Amino acid sequence: MQAAIDTATQQTLLRQIFDLVSARPSSACNFLPLPPLLAPAATSSSPDAPTQITYRHYATLYFILISTSTESPLALLDFIQVFVEALDRLFENVCELDLIFGFETLHAVLGEMVVGGVVIETGLEKIVAGVKESEGVKGKRKAVNASSSASLGKSSGFAGLGWATGTGSSWR
Amino acid sequence: MFEKSLVDLIRGMRGHKGREAEYIQSAIKECRTEIRSQDMDVKATALLKLIYLEMFGYDMTWAAFNILEVMSAAKHMQKRVGYLAAVQTFRPDTEVLMLAENLLKKDLTSPSIPTLSLPLITLPHLVTSSLALSILPDLLPRLTHSQPAVRKKTITTLYRLALVYPETLIVAWPKIKDRLLDENEDSSVTAATVNVVCELGWRRPRDFLPLAPRLFELLIEGGNNWMAIKIIKLFAVLTPLEPRLVKKLVRPLTNLIQSTTAMSLLYECVSGIIQGGILDGADAGVNVEEVADLCISKLRGMILLEGDPNLKYVALLAFNKIVTTHPALVAMQQDVILRCLDDPDVSIRLQALELATGMVSSDNLQSVVDRLMKQLANAPPEKSTFLNGSVEDQDNTDLEQKLVPDKRGSEASPLPNEYRHEIISKILDMCPADTYANITDFEWYIETLVKLIRQLPGKTNDTLTGRHDRTLNLPARIGSQLLDVTVRVKELRPEAVRAAERLATMSSRGMYFASHGYGQAEILEVAAWLCGEYAVHLSSPYEVINSLVHDQTKDFASSTIGTIVQAIPKVFASITKSANQEWNASRKGTLELMLGRITSFLDTLSAHPNLEVQERSVEFLELLKLGSEALSAATIDAPEAPLLLIHALPALFEGSDLNPVSSAAQKKVPIPEDLDLDTPLNPNLDTILRSSQLIDEEEGDDEQTTAFNKFYFEREITALASIRPTTRSQYVEADNDEAVSYQGIPDSPQTQARKKAERAARNRDDPFYIPGGAHTPSDEIASVIGKQAGDLDVDSIPIVDLNIDPSQLQHGQSTEKPKKKPKRKFMIAADETLDPTSDQLSSSFSDTRAPRSLTRNLSNTAPSSSVPATGNRRNFLSVDSSNLGAFSLSDQEQSGTLQLDIDRRLAEEAEMAAALKEVERKRLELARQEEEARTHVAEGVDEEGIVVKRKKKKSKKPAGDETTEQSLVDTLKKKKKKKVKKSEGGDPVQDSQPDFTEQ
Repeated sequence: MQAAIDTATQQTLLRQIFDLVSARPSSACNFLPLPPLLAPAATSSSPDAPTQITYRHYATLYFILISTSTESPLALLDFIQVFVEALDRLFENVCELDLIFGFETLHAVLGEMVVGGVVIETGLEKIVAGVKESEGVKGKRKAVNASSSASLGKSSGFAGLGWATGTGSSWR
Repeated sequence: MFEKSLVDLIRGMRGHKGREAEYIQSAIKECRTEIRSQDMDVKATALLKLIYLEMFGYDMTWAAFNILEVMSAAKHMQKRVGYLAAVQTFRPDTEVLMLAENLLKKDLTSPSIPTLSLPLITLPHLVTSSLALSILPDLLPRLTHSQPAVRKKTITTLYRLALVYPETLIVAWPKIKDRLLDENEDSSVTAATVNVVCELGWRRPRDFLPLAPRLFELLIEGGNNWMAIKIIKLFAVLTPLEPRLVKKLVRPLTNLIQSTTAMSLLYECVSGIIQGGILDGADAGVNVEEVADLCISKLRGMILLEGDPNLKYVALLAFNKIVTTHPALVAMQQDVILRCLDDPDVSIRLQALELATGMVSSDNLQSVVDRLMKQLANAPPEKSTFLNGSVEDQDNTDLEQKLVPDKRGSEASPLPNEYRHEIISKILDMCPADTYANITDFEWYIETLVKLIRQLPGKTNDTLTGRHDRTLNLPARIGSQLLDVTVRVKELRPEAVRAAERLATMSSRGMYFASHGYGQAEILEVAAWLCGEYAVHLSSPYEVINSLVHDQTKDFASSTIGTIVQAIPKVFASITKSANQEWNASRKGTLELMLGRITSFLDTLSAHPNLEVQERSVEFLELLKLGSEALSAATIDAPEAPLLLIHALPALFEGSDLNPVSSAAQKKVPIPEDLDLDTPLNPNLDTILRSSQLIDEEEGDDEQTTAFNKFYFEREITALASIRPTTRSQYVEADNDEAVSYQGIPDSPQTQARKKAERAARNRDDPFYIPGGAHTPSDEIASVIGKQAGDLDVDSIPIVDLNIDPSQLQHGQSTEKPKKKPKRKFMIAADETLDPTSDQLSSSFSDTRAPRSLTRNLSNTAPSSSVPATGNRRNFLSVDSSNLGAFSLSDQEQSGTLQLDIDRRLAEEAEMAAALKEVERKRLELARQEEEARTHVAEGVDEEGIVVKRKKKKSKKPAGDETTEQSLVDTLKKKKKKKVKKSEGGDPVQDSQPDFTEQ
């Protein structure tokens, strides 16, 4: 009925997709076979069922989209690219730490691009403008600067993946 | 009091490496206190921290009420935190949702755009039909808001409302349509509208035909690639309904294909042309050949283009969508598609495999399967990997690394078990299709099946997959194929049986089975059965017997042991028969030795826990003991072996040939009119049973006891006799005295005659009993059936006449060297059945369809497609749109009533709102008081957060995985620190500017 899933299932899904995605070399294509949790129930093949997983790998992060087969696979790749570029505009030279500390902004960007599983905006300028308007006049910002990051730097990664696929769950 | 900020929390987590769980628990405990604070800043910060932890899997549904409080904060930044939390945790069944209704309405009318946007993007996540009804009047006016950003969000939100409350569309659709048709509308609002229209469109295409002209206009002039892609996709659904669209679309689409620089748009044009049925539009005046050439050559180019796996994948995806409708077009691209089977990328391989299954024919089946076999044989089996397991390297992860497209070296990966499983099951799908219509060389097929056994994946320990049943089935499916081919293709039986012999023989088992031994039992079961049933074809039956009675047999599953026990006497019987031809002392010795071995083997099984195994072993044990007695009693210079061994024993297993019987045949046996299943067979059953208690004491003359004895003890011999009437007298004469010891009750010739008569009477109406005598009533049934079915002599019907023209064979198979071997002509026996309609088998291919479906039933392991993968698990990420289906957009009359409905509702609401406000205020007050009281009491009490498990392992792994590649990128990164721009070089798609950014 509803696309919403509980936290535990979401974690399992993350795990399964991550296992798939992390085993792939960079030369592989950006489309995943379905993880066990999403494997089609042989009885019904509704067009509403998610059948497509598209991902892109940037440095330490994977950006993963789960979509129905009615979306264009190549266009989704571009969509991720726009998403990352928008983040790059909002955080100067965006990196994983920016996203960990500024995950609110990240959600705001997503909110400008996707509403209720439907893409509403793919124009970079408008996305950035929309987020800036809602965040007030912060301008470009860096959540952390290099000096303070020295004390950090352990056990990251998963948070990044967490929202990356969180993206997926709100993308239907 | 000093509260942690979000940054403190994240740093803290990083500072407590290895003890995160502990740290997080204490953090959640703090959050629980902070979130009850009166200070909205503290509250919002606590909530933000909880949202952060929720991403790690820590439950925060308990904070639902507090989320509501933060949502109603005055400051936008705090409000935003509240709404974000709502998106993350609220579900339509969240209880506090009812309290949120007024808040959402209020924010929807906010003059501040950012605030107004919040409910718009949040609603889709939590909307219910009642919420939709009440919020609709507030949402609709936003469609004409002065800001495009608000309008576009409102449109999609309305769409989500319609999914749960279809009546939304009655009032909303006209307005949405206005937005689409308005040429002065902001381009991004138009694009968002198109997206929504497309979402609705493929669910109810017919309602959207009137919009075609406007969509067409947008496609040509839009200049927005994302929107163009969406429109093309929608047109692909519309064209089947409106053939005239085809002609209109061809030109713009071909123009786009030739002019666009965006690969994604080009690809969608091509797949839109193919899927929209434009290639069938010859009568609409389309130059089909030209268009088809253009499309196919583009797709082919995508596959051939080196260095971009994405294009390869989507091209295969497009082929896969048309393989059923345009098999010829796809088959022409065979060469490139088959090459993709060897692609290093599993995603591509799976697509190619799917495609290959769809396009096999008798011409290419062998080459496709051989290619797959080679792949299986060359790849090392998957090792149980510990996921690169290098956790120590974590420190090297540079989190400040700029997000540049990843460049990892390509490494050869071992064949994952999943994929291995997929290949084998696809091979098993495509080969037997259409009752082996595509197989020309059955020797090759048998060989392939035997080779497949070695490639079986080991037992998968993945319990999450839910595909356990299918995996378990693989060996059984191979087995049933071996069985099926052997039974159906008579000419091949000798070869097939020898293959089974090799499998069954102990010394060669190691060569044929995979080292993990998984699936061995299922295969051996079939092999043993084949060896027993067709023992005449065995090359060394002695060795087979020795392997079957090997100690290892006892470790198999009981069903396998049962089959083996049954096979042993069969093989033995064929040995004695052949041994009799040159009977001498040494042969006698060999037989004695073998009998001894068999009986001792059966002896150990006679106490097997499985009753079936136990029964069979005991039966054959006794029988063979008799044989061994007869053998030792025989004198050395006897002219031939004891009759029990050379006649009686083989007679048990000889009879008419077994043929494949259609699983539906049983149902078609006509029920005799006088069949009465309600009358008790013996009205005196009670008495008989009671008297049987006394049987031990009372002897002989009692009439009922005799009847009882007859019933239970005499059946075996007489049944045996009825099978072979010619040898019966011989048998009775030769073994009369042995029968005394065997049955315990001697039969006089008179009783035998009487029993025979009784038995005949008993069997008269038994449809399963085929008497050996000349003419019985059941013959009549058979003849009736025969008349119905026409001629039932199935073997004489040439079903598949596979005389392949050699020139045809070479075509499209240029890499394969033409077969020198003279073709053997195989006859494939079809299932025997009784239905005249399905029995009209002619020699043509098409008519073999009917038996084919039966074959599927016969091979008791269902093919993958029919196995529901844990059926009841619903696909949870899917959005249910079934509500929309029942709803018509053109139904304008209803809108009036709905308007009334809404008006009435509005009036009611105004009344309710005041009351609710009061209640809510009271409620909040109460809740606050209560909580304050509770915090007092609860001080120091352990209030642990509810934690979703599995946390600990997870948080570490990903980082570990990344680090190996990380160090590489790191070094690169440090040199160019912060100057790495997003336009770094690389492959075209990875780094290309997205196609739709420029508007």
